[in-house]
Amino acid sequence: MFDRDDGALDRVIRQLRQPVSIDPALDARVMEEIAADAAPGRLATPRPRFPLRGARWPWLAAAAVLGAILIARPWSAGGDTDALNAFQFVLVAPQASSVSLVGDFNDWDPARSPMQTAQGIWATTVPLPPGRYRYAFLVNGVEWRADPGAPRAGDDEFGTPSSVITVGGKGS
Amino acid sequence: MMITALLLIVQVAAQDPRLERLDPATRSLVVSVVDSAKAVGLPGEPLIQRALEGATKGALGPRIVTAVRRLATDLGTARAALGAGVTTPELEAGAAALRAGAGPDVLTHLRDARRPPLTMALAVLADLVASGVPADSASAVVLALAPSARDADLVEFRRAVERDISLGAPPGAAAAVRAANTGIRLGADAGNPPRPASRQ
Amino acid sequence: MNQPLGIDKVEASDAELVRRVRTGDIRAYGTLVARYRDRLGRYAVHMLGDREDAEEALQDSFVRAYRSLERCDDPARFGAWLYGILVNRCRTTGARAARRRRMFVRDADALNGATHADQADRVEWSDTVNRALARLAPEYREAFLLKHVEDLEYEEMGRLTGAGVSALKMRVKRAREQLQRFLKEAEHV
Repeated sequence: MFDRDDGALDRVIRQLRQPVSIDPALDARVMEEIAADAAPGRLATPRPRFPLRGARWPWLAAAAVLGAILIARPWSAGGDTDALNAFQFVLVAPQASSVSLVGDFNDWDPARSPMQTAQGIWATTVPLPPGRYRYAFLVNGVEWRADPGAPRAGDDEFGTPSSVITVGGKGS
Repeated sequence: MMITALLLIVQVAAQDPRLERLDPATRSLVVSVVDSAKAVGLPGEPLIQRALEGATKGALGPRIVTAVRRLATDLGTARAALGAGVTTPELEAGAAALRAGAGPDVLTHLRDARRPPLTMALAVLADLVASGVPADSASAVVLALAPSARDADLVEFRRAVERDISLGAPPGAAAAVRAANTGIRLGADAGNPPRPASRQ
Repeated sequence: MNQPLGIDKVEASDAELVRRVRTGDIRAYGTLVARYRDRLGRYAVHMLGDREDAEEALQDSFVRAYRSLERCDDPARFGAWLYGILVNRCRTTGARAARRRRMFVRDADALNGATHADQADRVEWSDTVNRALARLAPEYREAFLLKHVEDLEYEEMGRLTGAGVSALKMRVKRAREQLQRFLKEAEHV
């Protein structure tokens, strides 16, 4: 039996099934966005991190900044930094004899990112693709310290403090 | 083909030399969690890193396994809340937000309110809660900022709140004051994020 | 019919293209984009009712799919997987557009440019259909389009949307009922 309502609905469906042509320029926009992901030198502006916010010793803060600038050479970290952001990590620990940076970006291996020191200010630079990374400083091979200038990791799963850094940008 | 794929995944995780830092029993359990996660399309690398963190920090095997399992669960919940096409950084940040106390519905609302990538917004949410801001207040303010704030604005908001907290402000109050500066009021309905268009 | 001699040019399959992209051949992704652009674009345009929003959602979906390509478990079903990403993106865009109170804009230019009565009729009908579709709740519109326009089975729709089969069947039924009502109302205007 002819159902007029269904007939109208069938017309609707036929109408909606008509091919729709999208501007082919969309392809180029997609490829441009993707190619920017892979291009070297993207987001090349480093985001220096100054951890002495709220420090009680202004002179130490100034020294840390100067020391960080003298120590850190963000663009000499090697070819791997070409497509990545280079981040500087700094810890003021005048009494320490060794400080390592350990985190999700180096398999938590203390040997991978030993830090350099000048007058008790320890620093290193690490290239990081977009992502969220837990990390901490290992002082003298035994003491774990969070980064005073960074957000704390909410879950200290293993009873020691950790910090987090989130790197945004394309690919995140 | 599915079985072959699963077997290949098992081989990959088991052969990861980094996991040799774990004792054999712990390694076996961690590999199993990683393989199960990868079999349902979750990323294995964050789980491996969590295990390595535990190993480096000298944690006991059971604690490492618990941490890895917990992260796997959080990644799965984050993926369910954020939907298909979510990237690994978004998943990690989403898992962190869930662990911090945000509900899955907050992640879903954020996905509806903001163009991807969501990594920074989720990270700011997790970081605010980690600094002591109550989860519902942090959720409300991030959701309110989500539609229009750039990533840099969200990060600056978080920094401002943390500065205030470091100077002695109660975390909830710090977030409320900074939110008010942006024209957002955190009131009695702070725990109820705005509902997007009806879904069910 | 005479066929030219030589090797037929066979298009690379989705699985082959995905494999190439994974080994670093970005251009292979361009082929996938071209392959799915119009097909997925049709769903996005009807779901969102606005070509600009649709192109934005489509572009986002293609880019997200590229960035999370390692998560495509079955490259032979790349299209279905991409579809899932688009369905989700359309929900996000749709929710934002609803808050901005966008309305389907009458295609006045097309109407004014119509030089024959039947052309004008076609534009009017297209307009009627678009208005009726826009009045459906988003989840009904989504289910209706996936079932009747994109010809998906309910199980596949369930995988894309995360909804159960019986819920989807109900949504399609409601969508049909409401569309029929809207069309009747349009006749009497």
